[in-house]
Amino acid sequence: MLRYILSRLLLMIPTFLGILIINFAVLRLESDPLDAEAGMGGAKGGEGVSAERKASAGTKRYENLIDRRRRAGNDLPALVNLRGFLTKEDLVERLRRAAPGSGLKDSQRNQIEKETWQLGAPAVRPLAEVLADPALADLHGPASEAFSLCAYTTLYQADLENLGADRINAIRARNDRLQKQVIVYEPAARGTRVTDPQAEAKRAAMAELAAQGDYARDRRWSAILLDTGFSTFVGRLFTGNLYSETKKRYVFELIAERWQVTFWLNITAVALAWLVAIPLGIRSARRQGTLEDKTTTNVLFLLWSLPSFFVGTMLLHLFCTAHTGQPLFPNRGLSSEDSLWYSTPGYLLDVLWHAFLPLVTLTYASFTSLSRYMRGNLLGELHADYARTARAKGCDGDRVVYGHCLRNSMITMITLAAGLLSELFAGALIVEMIFSINGLGWLLLDAAIQRDAPLVMGATVIQVSLLLVGILIADLLYGVADPRLRSRYG
Amino acid sequence: MNALKIALLVAVAVLLLVVVVDRMREPAQMQQVHKSLERMAEATRAQTEELRNLRQVLEARPAAAGPAVASSAPAAAVVANDPARDGNPRLGANFLLPYDRSWHHREWIGGNIKTIAASPKGLNPLTENSAESSAVYGLCNDSLCDRPPTSPEQWMEGLAESVVISDDYQTYTFRIRPGVRWHRPVVCAGKPEFAWLDKDVELTSADFKFTIDLIQDATVDCPQIKVYYEDLAGASCPDASTLVLKWKRPIFTSLSFSMGLQPTPRHIYGRNRDGSPIPPEQVGVVFNKHWFDELRGVCGVGSYILESFEPDKVMAFRRNPAYWGATLHFERLEWVMDLKRPDPQLVAFKNGQIHSHGLSPLQYKSEVLDRKEPRFAAADPANPKAGRAGELGWEKVKGLSFRYLGWNMRKPPFDDKRVRQAMSWCFPKERVIRDVFFGLGCPVSSDVHPDSQYCNRALKPYGFDLARAKALLAEAGWSDSDGDGVLDKLIEGKRVPLRFTIKYGANNPEADNMLAVYRNELKSVGVAMTNTPFEWKELLRIFEDKDFEAIVGGWQMDWDIDYFQLWHSSQANLAKSSNHCGFANKRVDELAEKLRLTFDTQARIAIAQEIQAIIHDEQPYTFLWSGEGIFVWQNRAPAGSTEKDRWLDGVTKGLDTLHPLVNRSRLFWHFAR
Repeated sequence: MLRYILSRLLLMIPTFLGILIINFAVLRLESDPLDAEAGMGGAKGGEGVSAERKASAGTKRYENLIDRRRRAGNDLPALVNLRGFLTKEDLVERLRRAAPGSGLKDSQRNQIEKETWQLGAPAVRPLAEVLADPALADLHGPASEAFSLCAYTTLYQADLENLGADRINAIRARNDRLQKQVIVYEPAARGTRVTDPQAEAKRAAMAELAAQGDYARDRRWSAILLDTGFSTFVGRLFTGNLYSETKKRYVFELIAERWQVTFWLNITAVALAWLVAIPLGIRSARRQGTLEDKTTTNVLFLLWSLPSFFVGTMLLHLFCTAHTGQPLFPNRGLSSEDSLWYSTPGYLLDVLWHAFLPLVTLTYASFTSLSRYMRGNLLGELHADYARTARAKGCDGDRVVYGHCLRNSMITMITLAAGLLSELFAGALIVEMIFSINGLGWLLLDAAIQRDAPLVMGATVIQVSLLLVGILIADLLYGVADPRLRSRYG
Repeated sequence: MNALKIALLVAVAVLLLVVVVDRMREPAQMQQVHKSLERMAEATRAQTEELRNLRQVLEARPAAAGPAVASSAPAAAVVANDPARDGNPRLGANFLLPYDRSWHHREWIGGNIKTIAASPKGLNPLTENSAESSAVYGLCNDSLCDRPPTSPEQWMEGLAESVVISDDYQTYTFRIRPGVRWHRPVVCAGKPEFAWLDKDVELTSADFKFTIDLIQDATVDCPQIKVYYEDLAGASCPDASTLVLKWKRPIFTSLSFSMGLQPTPRHIYGRNRDGSPIPPEQVGVVFNKHWFDELRGVCGVGSYILESFEPDKVMAFRRNPAYWGATLHFERLEWVMDLKRPDPQLVAFKNGQIHSHGLSPLQYKSEVLDRKEPRFAAADPANPKAGRAGELGWEKVKGLSFRYLGWNMRKPPFDDKRVRQAMSWCFPKERVIRDVFFGLGCPVSSDVHPDSQYCNRALKPYGFDLARAKALLAEAGWSDSDGDGVLDKLIEGKRVPLRFTIKYGANNPEADNMLAVYRNELKSVGVAMTNTPFEWKELLRIFEDKDFEAIVGGWQMDWDIDYFQLWHSSQANLAKSSNHCGFANKRVDELAEKLRLTFDTQARIAIAQEIQAIIHDEQPYTFLWSGEGIFVWQNRAPAGSTEKDRWLDGVTKGLDTLHPLVNRSRLFWHFAR
């Protein structure tokens, strides 16, 4: 048995990593936080800068955003980092594609431009080479802009604490200097045109800055896998430093604050659902074909076909709204505002009163599926040879059902239960929305809408772990329910 | 026997549960007791402060009747005597309207009002950029000058008693009001480690300079604000009550950014947690992750003090007893943050848990027009104030935004002015407002609201006139030559039918209905329109790429108008610009540039109206309407406030006396400031 558990545990590691990688990649594909942060959408905002001003205003604006992205590890490629192998030709191609008249759509050009700005230190050398080449004069404007952003040094909190004031000031002076070296340019029909009279001096200064900086390429091999968004994320995950930039809090702190509400609501709902559905399924199976069985089936399917957001909203409007006098049930939260000072039994009753409608909304639909599974499985077993034999031996109905068939028909139910543990963690979004309960569902929905990658990933990690643990428990329970499985794995 | 066993088991389980829950609740109860004690201590301190404040004022002005009860008479007298102080910017003299206390009645103070709000993510005064955090600072902090709620297009005294603009609108010299004190932040009150903060700190011009220095510090993470102050050469404070802002060039936008500047507490953000000063070169970087923000503190000089903040639950404000000006009348404001969806919000309002709220057009239709909620008074077309009578009050209010249909002028058929005009004549504006939006919309003919001082009211609106549209299309050379019911025209040797696709945001049933109505009208003049909805993200890309023939859009309007961003030809072909229809007109370019350099109000109005006339003729947009909303309130007074009729009096006064476009959302509409 121990070997069995161990082998299952070891198998979990690659599964866990695989799920994380896929999730991370999808999240990265889906979101472009730089765009969201800059609020640069066409429809609203925009500050009406002329082309000439864009060169300076835009850069300053992006410096802060890139800073923020670096702090969150969002500037790095998601899974594989090949930036150390960038050449001058790669950069020339990027700059040409991002320039006006390249034949690409504006949105694509902007995307390429932004990606170039985030290449960071590895792009500094190749960009300096572009700037040193007089034949590429038409690219010098955008190249200098990208140069200033890639060579920009972010000062992290740890740097402020550990580096001396002199070093900090030197870095800041260098950043300031970089900003001033951006060559002013304007878009031309094809490409761009430098309009800056001091372009030559700025190019010389940038060559000097590139030579000074430490942009060595010896780390480029190790960076391929170790210097990526995913590795940063995993590093922060295991050190507990996952930080949500949108909520300004540590992810696990946020989750710790909220999980209890969702957990208690869900666990009560699950317990209720199983406590009602299993006896119902057994009863239905034992009375197969009777009027009672047919009525139960029809009523359950009617309930099942009603979507829970609809039922929840109807309950809210019907039972929680004061048109005249007091409403029957409270409309928000899981306890009254002053419930802290109720006696404990009073408090429990208050919670029950608040939780009643949310629990109804959460459970009514699961009665159907659970009881139907139970009914189907038990019927299969009741018609099996061994059940007939038991009956022939003189066992009464109860003994046949509870003594012989029930255990065998539980295999499917155990499979269903494997997913429960992770559902408990975040499975009540609609109810939380309708009855204004501050649970995890809300938090995660918010995070998904705002593309808050650390928070979504933090929750995913917990959920995946719970799912895997649930599957492990289910595997063990199979053994308990079915001696054949137990003997196979020793 | 079995039943007895089970009953016993259940009883023991329940007992155990009660004991466990009882133990679990203990710490929370203790915490609550501590909090209550702290709050009581705080209230005592606040009362002492108010008393001291009153005493100070009385000592300073032995002859005056009282500090805050001062009537409006002296203020009115100043205006009458000093016509130069009309609130319209001019060079060389103080032009600010005197501070208005006339709406404040000291004896009306009281009550705890609850409204719905979204939870702010952070509370840093500069690096946070959300509407929620600016609303917090709107209550807790003040700016140099204010827009008076009755005439928001003018300027009134605020933290500055006077301003003199010189040097061709490039230098602003503010005289800071004396005796204004910073709040003592509640998050630090009573904690021994913050004993260094337990003292009165007076506001000085250095606090404003501190703000400017932070904004201009490259390391401070506030790109959205930085852009506005890029043309600012710098700030200086020759003495504690004088602030000088110098701009690099005279540009009109600098006016509101100078006047609207809020101070940042230097005695908090310039210091470490232990009270020691932060070295000047590190202030910027430390500011981004300051200890005060981690405590979720707010420190301002405004009329309300942040009392408590539990993210996603509740945020409470207490009236500042030491406030220099006139506060709202509520003793306490509570922002409820756990109600996030429209349905639960409406139910909470109906249950009396929320005092004021807004209805969507569909909710307005079902709750008020269809009388689903009998406590709302029935609508009466003859009486716009009919909604005030019910147990729950409602009233229609205006907003500063407008919607439009944009025509891409870069390619046929909309490169022809006559076609665009014809499109506008085909739109049944009044009918759509009535049938689709249930009357919630105010038709507009330009990008300025009819109630704004800049609006050119002489423009004749494009009504609904299909005959006129047909004539214009015929004049532009469009006819149905092949008899297929769709107009066509020979363009560069090819017969082109008048078919186009209009793009708009998905999940918007009102837009679907509106376009369905419009499509039918267009069909009857021989124009075939297809409507295609897009997800928001994709729609942004479409705007960015100017990848449309026609598009449904909307803009937020501002008190200060600027025609450069939307209509200047330099913006037409710039990536990410707002002139997505490709409008280009030499005269408008000239006027838009001139408007940016003109400060005199009358001259600005003349320029704006000329631009509107040109745009009206060109019709790059078919201007639709400005949004309107339904605001609802409890017609019974909030707990603890003074008599009911006074509260109601306040609501109606707020609705009646403010400028019609002042935002009435949340509680600013009640005696709005």
